[in-house]
Amino acid sequence: MTAGAAVGIVGNDVPRQIVFAAGAIPHRLTGSWSAPLAGEAVAHLGSVDPPAAAILTELLGGAGPALDAIVVCNDSQANLRLFYVLRMLRGAGIPPVHLLDLPRQDSPATRRFARAQLAALTAFCEGVTGSTPDAAAWREAARQERAVGDAVARLQARRRAQPPEVGGTMALTALLAAASVPPAAAVELLDAAAEPRAGGVRVHVTGSNHPDPSVYAAVEASGATIVSDDHDTGDLSWLGAAVEAPDADAVHAGLVDAHFARSTGSAVATIAERATTTRAMAVAAHADVVLALIRQGDEAPLWDLAATGDALAGAGIALHRSVGITAEGLDGAVARAVAGVTGGTEEHHA
Amino acid sequence: MREGRLDSAVAATAYQREWFQSLRRTSGPDAPIAFVNADAPHEVFRAMGIPYVVNQWWASVIAAKRRGPESLRRLSALGLPDDSRQYDALALGAQDLPADEAPWGGLPTPAFAVAERGGDVTHKIFELWGQRPGTETFLLSRTAADPAPEGWWEHVAEGWEEVFGRERIDLLAAEIDDLIAWLEERTGRRFDHSRLAEIMALGNEQAQWNRRTRDLLAAARPTPVAVTDSIPSVMVPQWHRGSEWAVTAAKRLHDEVAARIERGDAVCRDERRRLMWIGRGLWSDLEMYRSFQEEFGAVFVWSMYLAIAADGYARYGPDPVRALAARFVGITDLLYVPPMSSSWYVKEALAHGVDGVVHLVADDTPGASFISAALEERGIPVLEIRANNADSRSTEDARVGERIAGFLRTRVPARH
Repeated sequence: MTAGAAVGIVGNDVPRQIVFAAGAIPHRLTGSWSAPLAGEAVAHLGSVDPPAAAILTELLGGAGPALDAIVVCNDSQANLRLFYVLRMLRGAGIPPVHLLDLPRQDSPATRRFARAQLAALTAFCEGVTGSTPDAAAWREAARQERAVGDAVARLQARRRAQPPEVGGTMALTALLAAASVPPAAAVELLDAAAEPRAGGVRVHVTGSNHPDPSVYAAVEASGATIVSDDHDTGDLSWLGAAVEAPDADAVHAGLVDAHFARSTGSAVATIAERATTTRAMAVAAHADVVLALIRQGDEAPLWDLAATGDALAGAGIALHRSVGITAEGLDGAVARAVAGVTGGTEEHHA
Repeated sequence: MREGRLDSAVAATAYQREWFQSLRRTSGPDAPIAFVNADAPHEVFRAMGIPYVVNQWWASVIAAKRRGPESLRRLSALGLPDDSRQYDALALGAQDLPADEAPWGGLPTPAFAVAERGGDVTHKIFELWGQRPGTETFLLSRTAADPAPEGWWEHVAEGWEEVFGRERIDLLAAEIDDLIAWLEERTGRRFDHSRLAEIMALGNEQAQWNRRTRDLLAAARPTPVAVTDSIPSVMVPQWHRGSEWAVTAAKRLHDEVAARIERGDAVCRDERRRLMWIGRGLWSDLEMYRSFQEEFGAVFVWSMYLAIAADGYARYGPDPVRALAARFVGITDLLYVPPMSSSWYVKEALAHGVDGVVHLVADDTPGASFISAALEERGIPVLEIRANNADSRSTEDARVGERIAGFLRTRVPARH
C-alpha cells in the first residue's frame, strides 16, 4: 500500500487526525435516502437503517470510490451489522476492514479501552499506508485537522446568522464533501459555502442522519432555512478533532478526552442527552421549529421523541415529526414535513 | 409412547410461579429487587442476595398471557414507539397495566434496572425504567465481537481469554466492579467474592448437566422431548443460575430425558422429519411447535435454549468477577454474529440430524443470511421467517404455520 491511500469511513467516531497522520485520506461513506438497494445487501443486513444497505450496495457493486481499506464505527447497530457482513465478505472484492469500537460511558475502564481502540486504528492505518507517523506527522495532521474544525465553526456561524448567510442544504453538502477530501480542500469547500438567505422559518433538524442533502433541499425549497441540526452527518459530524502532541500515545489520550466530551447521534446517546442536545442547539440557533425526520429502520430516534418534545415545549419551540419515512414515501413525507414547518403547529405522522 | 409433559417442565414452571409470588409478597423498601436484561451479570445480584427478574423471561410471560398488545399500547400512550424492540420493551409497557390485568399480578417495582448498551434502543428502554419512581438504572458497556477461534464451543469454558480478547473482558470486569460498588452503596450490603465463586461453580455444574442433556437429545431417535417442554425446563433454571435449586433442576431434566430415551418414548412415534428452530421462542403460540406432527411427522428437536445452555455458559477461572465478565461479554455474539454463530448452528444441526430448519429472523439479529447459507451449503434446507417473536401482530402477519407447512411439503422430504 502507499501513502495517499483512500480509507472508507462508515460512522462518526473516527478521529481523522489518525488517518491523516498515517498518510491516508478518509473518505466518508454515508449511503443515500433513496438509492436502489441490491438484494444481496438487503439479504445480508436484514432490517437496518437503509443507508447502511446503500453503502453495502455501493461496495458490492463497485460503484463507490476506489478504497484501499474501510473503517467501520460501532456507533449504530446498522453500522455494526455492516461491519460483521463486510468481515464475512473478505476476499469478495472488499478491501481490508477494521472496526473502531468506542464506548460511550466515561469511566477509567472505558477510557483504557478507547485508547487501545485508537491505538489499533493507528496500527491499521499504518498497515494500509506502510507509514508510521513521526512527531512532525502528528503535529502537521493536528494543524490541518484543526483548520478544518475552524472552517466548520465559521460555517456554523454563517448558518446561525440572522438572517442566515448560508442554507442548510449548502452547508450539509459542504460537510459531506469535506469529510472525503484532504484537509486543505475541506477548508476550501467549507469556506466556499455561502449563500445569503431571506428571513423565513428557521428550522432545526433532528432524528435520522442525512446521508445526502436531498431532503434538506426539498424542505428549503419552501423558503424555510435549516439553521442547525443534531445528527451525525450535519453539525455533529466529527470534523476538526485534533490533538497537538508529538507521539501516538499522547494523541490517543487527547482524542479520548475529545470523544467523551462530544454530543453524539441518537443510537449511542441516552434519551436525556438527546433531548438536552436538541433543545440547546435549537435555542442557540434561534430556531422557530424543530423538525424530526426519522427513517423506517432507524429506531433509536423514535425513543427520543417524547422527551425531546417536552424539552422543546419548555423552550417554546414546536416539534414537528415525520416518522417511518421510506424511500418510496420520501416525497410525501417531505411534503408533510414542509407543511408542518410552514403551515402551523399541527404535528404530522407519516 | 409417552405424551405427557416432562415432569421437569411442570416442576420448573410451578417453581417459577411460586418464586414470583413469593417475590411479590416479600419485596419492598428493605428487600429490593432488580430487573435485569438477559445479558447482564445476574450472578452479582445472587451473590448480594438481591432477587432479580429477567426482562426476556418476563416478556415471554407477558406474551404467553396474551398481554403483549395491551402492553405495547401503554408505551404508545406515552409517546413511545410500539413497533420497536418489542421483546425488550414489553415489560416496560406492562408495568402500567392495572394489577388485575397484569400477568401473575404484575412485577413489583424494581429498585435496580440493569442492562448493557448493545444495540440502539435497549439502553434507552432501561433508561426509561430509571425514570420510573423507585427505580434506578445502571448500564454496562457492550463491545463488539472479535472473531472467536473456530470451534469456540470446545474452548470457551476454559480459554475465554482467547475467545473474547483480554481488552473486552478487562472492560466488562471493571464495570462489574463498578456495579458491585453501586449496589453496595445503595443496599448497605457487602459483596463477598467467595460467595460469587460458589455461585460460579454452581453455574458451571448446571451447564455441565445441560451439556449432557443436549448430547443425549442429539443422539436420540426418535426425539423423546417436545421443545415446548425442554425450553422451560432449561430456561427457568437458567434464570436461577448459580443456585442449588437450578443445579438440581438441570440434573432432574437430564435424568428424565435419559429415562425417556431408555424407555423409547417419543414425542411423535412416526417421526419422519426432524426440525430445528433457530431464533427466539414463539411464546404467544407454543402449540405451533407441535402442530406439524400428525400431518407431516415433523418434530422440532432443537431450540437454542438448551443448546446455548450446553455450550455457552460454563466459565472456569480463579477470579470469579473476571470469569463472570467472560460469561457475558460475548454470549450474544456467539448466538448471532457470524462466523461464530453460523458455524455453531451447523455443528448443532449435524449433531441432531435435522432435516430442515425454521429460522426466525428478528429485527436485531445480524448476519442471519450467513447462518441460513451455511446450513444450506451442508444440504439442510432453511425457511427464513422475518418476524418479532414477542409481537403476536408480527407473527400473525408472517403466517408462520402456513409457511412452515408449505416448507415441509416442498423442501423437506420425509425419511423412510
